[in-house]
Amino acid sequence: MIPAFLLSLKLALASAGLLLLLGTPLAYLLRRPFPGRALVESVLLLPLALPPTVLGFYLLLALGPEGPLARLGAAPLAFTFPGMVIGATLFSFPFAFTAYREAFRALDPELLATARTLGAGPAKRFFRVVLPLVWPGLVSGTLLGFAHALGEFGVVLMVGGNIPGKTQVASTYLYDLVESLDFAAANRASLILLAVAFGLVLLVRSLEERWRFATASDDRSP
Amino acid sequence: MEVRYRIRRPVALTVGFSIRGFTALLGPSGAGKTTVLKALAGLVPAEGTPFAGLPPERRPIGYLPQGHLLFPHLTALENVRFGLGTPGEAGRRRALALLERFGLADKADRRPHRLSGGERQRVALARALARDPELLLLDEPTASLDAPARRGVLEALLEVVAELGVRALVATHDPELAQAADRVVVLYRGRVLEEGDPRTVYTRPRSLTVARLTGFENLFPGRVEGIDQGGLWVATAAGRFWLEAPPRPPGTPVVLGIRPEEVLFVREDRPLAPALAPNVRTGRLLSVRPRGAQVAVRVALSGLTLRVLLPRHVQDRLDLVAGETRRVVLKPRYLQLFSPEEAPSDSSDSPS
Repeated sequence: MIPAFLLSLKLALASAGLLLLLGTPLAYLLRRPFPGRALVESVLLLPLALPPTVLGFYLLLALGPEGPLARLGAAPLAFTFPGMVIGATLFSFPFAFTAYREAFRALDPELLATARTLGAGPAKRFFRVVLPLVWPGLVSGTLLGFAHALGEFGVVLMVGGNIPGKTQVASTYLYDLVESLDFAAANRASLILLAVAFGLVLLVRSLEERWRFATASDDRSP
Repeated sequence: MEVRYRIRRPVALTVGFSIRGFTALLGPSGAGKTTVLKALAGLVPAEGTPFAGLPPERRPIGYLPQGHLLFPHLTALENVRFGLGTPGEAGRRRALALLERFGLADKADRRPHRLSGGERQRVALARALARDPELLLLDEPTASLDAPARRGVLEALLEVVAELGVRALVATHDPELAQAADRVVVLYRGRVLEEGDPRTVYTRPRSLTVARLTGFENLFPGRVEGIDQGGLWVATAAGRFWLEAPPRPPGTPVVLGIRPEEVLFVREDRPLAPALAPNVRTGRLLSVRPRGAQVAVRVALSGLTLRVLLPRHVQDRLDLVAGETRRVVLKPRYLQLFSPEEAPSDSSDSPS
């Protein structure tokens, strides 16, 4: 049980880091409308509507020994930890991305313009205005992505293969326990996942409260 | 300070005017006031002077955007310090002194959401002044405030501008605020229609549109009937009026205007100067209603409705009651003549 949970944690941490790294610039770029934005966003949000097995299936093809990456000379990532990280990151992307995007959208461009008139250059604007106002949104999005990656089942099963001690994570471990009718152990594992998930969602919610509170104080009249 | 700007977007406008002391940029919403202010702040691209080519960060201006736009995550003190170049304890003291000037020293550690609307506006003002600007740009500084807060902010504003000797350009649609200024620039549909001291602009506006914007509520179409005694006879739906004006050929269509504060009720217990007799009319009072500390009266003359604004002490003496008949006089010195213009296509341009 311990190795599976540790691997889940490792997977969630790696995915959350990637989400923050890739999702933040994307959300920043997509905060304003441009032709084709709906299309780009639809692709990014697709995992919301896609069965995880579909994503897992195509990833398996792409990352497998016959896949395009392997043909270019890269080591096949199917049934490896890096492969699982790619899968979990893609699948958790919509959750983190939506939160990031809202954080940037709530940022008033007039506020940044005002900062310019107060002599603030790009660096000062970013560190003194943008970052303090968006960080609760960035943290809450990353936490959501983390929670989602922690419990991911379908994609990691397809890409990772549920190899005990190698690619078996908490969720696939739980599935094995139920299959072998070990309900007592399954219950222990489930309770841990339940508690962690609840704690994370609670944290995200309280951050969102704080975030709304921090950004809502403009009283411009129409 | 002379402003000559040509702006292409977000709206195309070409303006030229001068800023002296506390200058009001008066105009209805949509006239381009905010765009002019943003161009001066460097936030909207413009060709011309002053500050050509300088980015907003390097312009010697203090900008107070509409709705104040304080940094919500910073305290009042930190907001003021944001624009200050001075670091450390010296900067803190300077920011605190600025807040003190606006009576906010005890609220220095509060964030904007714990300040009232008027307090926020004053913090934003202190912040705009922190960099010792050559020019203050204020966008509707009193629009979102209620009456007492408005007066407080306006007084603080006038005091500071006079005391620091800083120039200020204040965009407003409020004729009352503009009256308190050293200079008024009337902006309408992206053009400067008139500029000068408020007294002249308000009592002798040069065009019908400016008259409307500055509170001429009585504007009656008419026609020049004749030239007489250094003045003109003008025929309106309510008969002929005489006024002092340069001659115009008889038959010329004109608009006769008078401010509601400058229509007088005839005191029947006193003799009336005979020269005024042609401009006296009898009318029925349609309504008598308080308007703030004043009393607004609507009088039906034959074919026209006249709006009159009286101080309360005058109403106390006259005791006007709706429905009764009274005599009013439109004194020649308060009558203004305008050339008719094409009616504005949207009704929102006329002052309410």
